[in-house]
Amino acid sequence: MRSDSALLIVAHGSTVNPDSSAPTLAHAAEIRRRKVFADVECAFWKEEPSLRDAIFLFDPQSVREVYVAPNFISEGYFTQTVIPRELELNGRTTNRSNGQLWKYCEPVGNHSMMTELLLKRAGEVAQDADPAETSLLIVAHGTDLNENSAVAAKREAEKIRTLGKYAAVLNAYMEEPPLISDWQKLTRSPNVVVVPFFISDGLHSYEDIPRLLGIRSCHPKPLGSFTGSLDSARDDVESSQREVFRHNPYTAGGRSLFYAPSIGTDQGFADIIIEQAAKFDSEAYRDRGTKFIAKN
Amino acid sequence: MSNPAAPALESALTDRFHFGQILVRKINGAFVLSHCGDETRKKLKTFQSAEDAIELSKFDDSGNYRPLKTAPNLAHGWRLELARLEELQRALDYFYPGRLAVFLAWKTGQLHTTPLRETLDRQSGMYRVAAKISDDQIDNVVGDFCRSDGGCLRTILWKRDQRGTVSSAKLPLEKFDPACDQIKALGRPGSSAFAEATADKTTPAIATIPLLCQEPCNLLVAECRKVVKGKDKR
Repeated sequence: MRSDSALLIVAHGSTVNPDSSAPTLAHAAEIRRRKVFADVECAFWKEEPSLRDAIFLFDPQSVREVYVAPNFISEGYFTQTVIPRELELNGRTTNRSNGQLWKYCEPVGNHSMMTELLLKRAGEVAQDADPAETSLLIVAHGTDLNENSAVAAKREAEKIRTLGKYAAVLNAYMEEPPLISDWQKLTRSPNVVVVPFFISDGLHSYEDIPRLLGIRSCHPKPLGSFTGSLDSARDDVESSQREVFRHNPYTAGGRSLFYAPSIGTDQGFADIIIEQAAKFDSEAYRDRGTKFIAKN
Repeated sequence: MSNPAAPALESALTDRFHFGQILVRKINGAFVLSHCGDETRKKLKTFQSAEDAIELSKFDDSGNYRPLKTAPNLAHGWRLELARLEELQRALDYFYPGRLAVFLAWKTGQLHTTPLRETLDRQSGMYRVAAKISDDQIDNVVGDFCRSDGGCLRTILWKRDQRGTVSSAKLPLEKFDPACDQIKALGRPGSSAFAEATADKTTPAIATIPLLCQEPCNLLVAECRKVVKGKDKR
């Protein structure tokens, strides 16, 4: 990267889920630590700094180009409509009035390294399970709104399937068939690994998917139910939410079930974000054209 | 590593200043941050990494998530000690994301503001309907949602529309003045937060870096949508 290049990681964020922005902030801190870019900032649709604030985040004197990396699982409404509109991007590259050149990268989840990361996470969560006797389930949301995330999940499953490493590699969804709640019918191997194909942990990965898998029947205690200090209550709630990832393997129907945190929380995401920015300037990528910029 | 807001911060730096509800003090060459209501409080839990600000700013005193970082509900009970200006800048960026950069743009005459109507008109999807909000409803929503005593501590620089109409006639003039420290609004009659926010009324006013608002935020757009959809009676 040039010494006057900066990175802007754009994510959705949330007004209700305190963990939504955590992976994005952590990836930014890690990339900042590596000093690959002159500056690394984040911006969110639902949190601060907003996408509109992001226009002012980079000093035009010291930063001449900004790579915009959407921390999204796939292309879709946010990457094609909301981000370009809010950041006033008018194509793959945008020349701003302050002289900066902004480069709009593909969403992080689109990078080919995602396959490797999914394999790594599946291997880590089920270290003692022989992949040849293991089914890998990649879970996506599966609604009309997130149609493209389902497409991305299918692409990743297909790529892993062709490696022939796992007994089976399947897609499953929370709200449409094949349903994750049918995991025992969908798989036949003695071991099953479930990886949520989401950017961050939250209600879906902490509660909804575990409930659908049948490995968790109760909600974490609400804050008010703790008798210790507020700090310890917070710690207890967070710990209680993440507890679901610490009891692998679960046993159901005579089979072992391994449940992983959302893929976006993996530290390897920081590498992919950097690679996605680097890929922008590669010749092969340049030939891809401008298909992912859609005018509203 | 570039620090875009560092020059503005350095020039605004005094031995003690307010940035929202944070009191920053320079003590023996280091920076000590705390809630502005905790200056005389003992038994503060000490932190020493800029990244600690992420968790410190995430929940209020009751443990509720703070989706709006500039809301006047920063948690008490902590003290953050930082050795370098870069760390101070990063911590302040975690406490009030983007506000230093916007302050710098404003100081250097590069900040442009966007009227609420323009923000609403460019929305799509579920927020498109928010543009149907009436001027009277805007007056009420902005007057309530953005008010400093209970809503948001930012200083509003944007107008309601292209004609330059004030964003809400229900807000005091101080709400639009970068020279005013918005935490003083917490002392209005009926506000229980004032005693905590300003520990000692006899001390002289201290320097303030304002939390400037150049454009209505997404949370306000969502509030406007609620009103139009009839889910909010304002």
